[in-house]
Amino acid sequence: MNERTISSAVRGSVVEEDVELTIVELCRACRTSEHEIELWVVEGVLQPRGASRESWRFGGDALARIRLATRLRRDLDVNTSGVALALDLLDRIAELESRLAR
Amino acid sequence: MKYKDYYETLGVPRTATQDEIKQAYRKLARKYHPDVSKLADAEARFKEINEANEVLKDPEKRTAYDQMGSNWKAGQEFQPPPNWDAGFEFRSGQGSPFGAGGTFGAGADFDPSDFFESLFGRRGAGAGRRRASAQGEDHHAKVLIDVEDAYRGAERTISLRAPVEGPDGRIEIQERTLDVHIPKGIRPGQHLRLAGQGNAGIGGGKAGDLYLEIAFNPHSRFRVDGADVYVDLPLAPWEAALGATVDVPTPDGAVQLTVPKGSAAGRKLRLKGRGLPGKNPGDFYALLAIVVPKAETDAARTAYESLAKAFPNFQPRPNS
Repeated sequence: MNERTISSAVRGSVVEEDVELTIVELCRACRTSEHEIELWVVEGVLQPRGASRESWRFGGDALARIRLATRLRRDLDVNTSGVALALDLLDRIAELESRLAR
Repeated sequence: MKYKDYYETLGVPRTATQDEIKQAYRKLARKYHPDVSKLADAEARFKEINEANEVLKDPEKRTAYDQMGSNWKAGQEFQPPPNWDAGFEFRSGQGSPFGAGGTFGAGADFDPSDFFESLFGRRGAGAGRRRASAQGEDHHAKVLIDVEDAYRGAERTISLRAPVEGPDGRIEIQERTLDVHIPKGIRPGQHLRLAGQGNAGIGGGKAGDLYLEIAFNPHSRFRVDGADVYVDLPLAPWEAALGATVDVPTPDGAVQLTVPKGSAAGRKLRLKGRGLPGKNPGDFYALLAIVVPKAETDAARTAYESLAKAFPNFQPRPNS
């Protein structure tokens, strides 16, 4: 007999692996405007699949990136290219730190 | 309630110009921004800096704050004097930057202290923010798990604080708990999306989603880098030189690992696919270190001396 306990715990999907977001979903999840998302695409911070705005599909990792970018822009009053630079540098720091920790 | 010295927080004199305040704020904000700073108290410091800036950058609020006098010391017990804000408009509601229903300049995360609220009123929580029908906001929270949980999957009970619309239309903060299944193979920094578990919708609107950011507790043995897991593996000199089979702890239980003869310190031995599980499982690495026993007995000293004799041409420092 196959005995299994059914748990009541909520199951979700792993955003970075299983989820693709449209611009509307991304705006809602990040509490930001479509205009701001477009700015990040122009700046190269986000690279969605799809040719037109309507067909853009963002990988799940865009979510954390936009939230970070939005916080930096808002809190530090940095313009989009400044934030793009900060994100690149933060990526490099994270990579070097993980290499140090190994 | 304790008095807060906003000038001290920003490190400027009470006579500072608006430009000097802006400059001081920007500098400190960059230094203590929780996304940038590695300091343990960065988040708390950033909050204080933001609050100070909210008051001092606004000439009207700054004047009101200044009117309470300069004799207060930070941390001193404080009650706002009666009618201290007479003649100022920020409490009067409609059209004021801080009245009920107003929004703060400093982003959605601005979380003022009791001191701030006693002077300038509470943020929009309260009357006036009713919308006919709206989808609930997505909610974000962070969950800490252990590396073992990512190997096996786990359940976590998390508590969330979220604004809920009360019967009278006011927004109040409610706490609730939720049992969440953490799927096997989740990696640090990844997010779980729980559909419909975000904030409740308003007026029949759909509930938002809940996003959980997964972070790992630091482990005394294992280090996680993406999907790969690392452990230090100390060896005796003879194990490294002659080769050995040793037990290695992994988050999934101990495994036997063959150390090849002639292994040097710093060498990485890979157990393919034994890192975090998943569609593309990570690898597990044992990082070799060589531990030298102390020569504390005559027998040990003799052993080292005969080792030296056995390697008359050994050059540990070939270039010196």
